[in-house]
Amino acid sequence: MVGREDATSDSMTGEVRAPAPPGINLALYWHLMRLRARTRLQYRASLVLAWISQGFGYAGTFASIWVILNRFGGLGGWSWPEMAFLLGFHTFAYAIGAVFTFTQFRGMDAMVREGEFDMLLVRPVNPWSFIVFSGVDLQYGSHFVLGAGLMITGAAALPLAWDAGLMLRFLASLLSAALLTGAMFTIIGAFAFVLGRSRYVFGLYFDLWELSRYPIGIYTAPLQIILFTVLPFAYMSFVPVSVMIGKPVPLLGGAAPVLALAAGPILALMAALFWRACLRRHQDIGG
Amino acid sequence: MSAPALKFAAFHPLALRPLAAFATAAARQQATHRSELLAMAFGAFMDVFARISIWKAVYAGREDMAGISLAEMITYALVGSTFLSSWDAALIVREIGAAIRSGQIGATLMRPVSFPGMLFAEQLGPRLLQFAVVCLPVIAILASVYGIQPPASPGHFLLFVAHVALSTTLLFLIAIFFGLLSFWVLEAHSLEWFMRGLTALLSGGLVPLWFFPPALGAFAHALPFAWITYYPMACYLGRADLFTSTLLFAAGVGWALVLGACIAVLWRLTTRRVTVQGG
Repeated sequence: MVGREDATSDSMTGEVRAPAPPGINLALYWHLMRLRARTRLQYRASLVLAWISQGFGYAGTFASIWVILNRFGGLGGWSWPEMAFLLGFHTFAYAIGAVFTFTQFRGMDAMVREGEFDMLLVRPVNPWSFIVFSGVDLQYGSHFVLGAGLMITGAAALPLAWDAGLMLRFLASLLSAALLTGAMFTIIGAFAFVLGRSRYVFGLYFDLWELSRYPIGIYTAPLQIILFTVLPFAYMSFVPVSVMIGKPVPLLGGAAPVLALAAGPILALMAALFWRACLRRHQDIGG
Repeated sequence: MSAPALKFAAFHPLALRPLAAFATAAARQQATHRSELLAMAFGAFMDVFARISIWKAVYAGREDMAGISLAEMITYALVGSTFLSSWDAALIVREIGAAIRSGQIGATLMRPVSFPGMLFAEQLGPRLLQFAVVCLPVIAILASVYGIQPPASPGHFLLFVAHVALSTTLLFLIAIFFGLLSFWVLEAHSLEWFMRGLTALLSGGLVPLWFFPPALGAFAHALPFAWITYYPMACYLGRADLFTSTLLFAAGVGWALVLGACIAVLWRLTTRRVTVQGG
């Protein structure tokens, strides 16, 4: 495999060659990520232009939302600083998860169809980990800058006491939301084993993802229930941010602080099980 | 390819026949992907629903804002985000970029049809199909729940229909303009995002220009993006009398002509550039 062969010519050495059980070879994954990053960094100007333009694209939408809040004073009981924090968190957490999963699983159906995935099955490495780490995507620079900028803008105007407890909750919430993103993309990617075509499901994902940018309380009750349960987009940013800035969370009430942190790991576990089940089915079909 | 062939393709009336064939073929192709159409309808439904939810939330307890009522904003969301804002024309930029990168553009230029014309036809066919099978059902379902205002008058309605055609044309021209720039920039992906950002804010797709801060509003009112969603919807809702609406429509046609001229110049430079690269 590419990673192992190339390892000899780089600072990565013994650990990569050493036999290790598939799935836990961290040195190999680190090496794969470095390879991918180095490839992308060969075209630095192109990468920076991609960051700037994508940031510009997102800024257009965020500016529209700012115009609404500037004119009306609030949205569903959320002021601009609160909304900025919500949007920033949503963008930043999404980007962490997407770096490891989005472009990787977007091409999953083509990989399965064209037999590229079967090549992975004969390699001594966990296929999910290989796809995730060898495809790590650096295009999210503007997401991080915009997300952090919006969160700082919002947090500066909000009466938040940034003690160790809140800091820890903030980081754990980001991690949970990032896991949620990764888990959802993994599930959609796994559909490729069952449906044959899964790319259009990403379109459906983004339709719902865009809803989760706004305070969930503005939607009708049935949709709120869906976003809190079967399609848990509410935990992407609305629940964790509401908990942090002390806003009430409909339907969840007192369970919100725990669920804000637990949603990501729970869905990640479900995604892992789903991936395995779909993979088993794929192998069954393949004989 | 030779310059005379290009001229023939671009200006000869007979060139319309292959373009119609491209439009029909693309629409038929789209019609076969039913799951994609369903996904599109779902996307449009969620998009309009989100907008209506936003307007209902911000209007809570208010009669109107800047002279605009909630009922008008619901209509703006229903009609505007389906007929006027649901087409992600920036994807054309991606298509042109891919054709340039893969070199397929060379083979395309050999055809006796103008490349921009062919792209337009290929987009127009599916777009008309989507008007019928995606936009209308979504409007019908959500209007039955939230209500919809009829056009201000029959005259405004006719002008609105013309505005929809102008909006589609302008969006296409803007996309082609950005797409042709990728002959120089070679980063179609970035151009696509620049276009998306400008259109999202300045077309009035999500927020009508009535609600913009004065300085930004004045700027946005004059740019061609405003004719994509804002002016057509202002016409539908009868925010200006028929005479003013007609003048505004004429101004939009003026923008289309300006963009068309810019594209013609760019196209000429482009074809020369391709010949140089090939030779």
